[in-house]
Amino acid sequence: MFSFQEKSLWLMFVGLVAGFGFYFATVLPMATVDVMPQQMVLFVLAVFALVLMQIVGHVLIAIIDRRSGTDERDRLIALKGTRIAAYVLATGVFLALCAALLTRGNFIFTHVLLAFWVLAQLTEIGAQLVMYRRGA
Amino acid sequence: MGKGGGFITNDIRGLRQRHGDMTQQELADQIGVTRQTVNAMEGNKYSPSLEVAFRIARVFGVRLEDVFQYAE
Repeated sequence: MFSFQEKSLWLMFVGLVAGFGFYFATVLPMATVDVMPQQMVLFVLAVFALVLMQIVGHVLIAIIDRRSGTDERDRLIALKGTRIAAYVLATGVFLALCAALLTRGNFIFTHVLLAFWVLAQLTEIGAQLVMYRRGA
Repeated sequence: MGKGGGFITNDIRGLRQRHGDMTQQELADQIGVTRQTVNAMEGNKYSPSLEVAFRIARVFGVRLEDVFQYAE
């Protein structure tokens, strides 16, 4: 049976995949030199949908699972997850800097950075979910 | 698995059973952790902090070594 923390992590994982999956699937086929206003609108929409999904989802989880407290194991797992994700994010920052230097416009730079931020989040959440099941 | 090659086991499940079939939730409430953490400890998937380890021993009225064992 999943704990409150695990349910919350699954919700964030699915939300990120759905929200940014939609964004990248829509925006990448129409790649431009610079980020266009309509692409920014799509980004805002994806973030808004993600936030809304998180609020509604967490309210539902809190209703289903009344025990929402955290303890030392939750904090340890969160810290370990953050440490693993930091490597992914650092790689993304380096590649985004390379893209900024080697490509024209800001589209590729922006989207490499955004993609690796999303990937870092997914790695952090995924690592935590594995640790909850296999041990920290 | 610890860094020295050994690992920590425990007898929390046995102690619960010998204390009136105490549930994981009852123990968790007394030592200030979640039921899932008690379950992880019993499955040797998580080694608690010293503070929680001492709280567990205190709940059962035994020494720390009666709850946790270090196996080489």
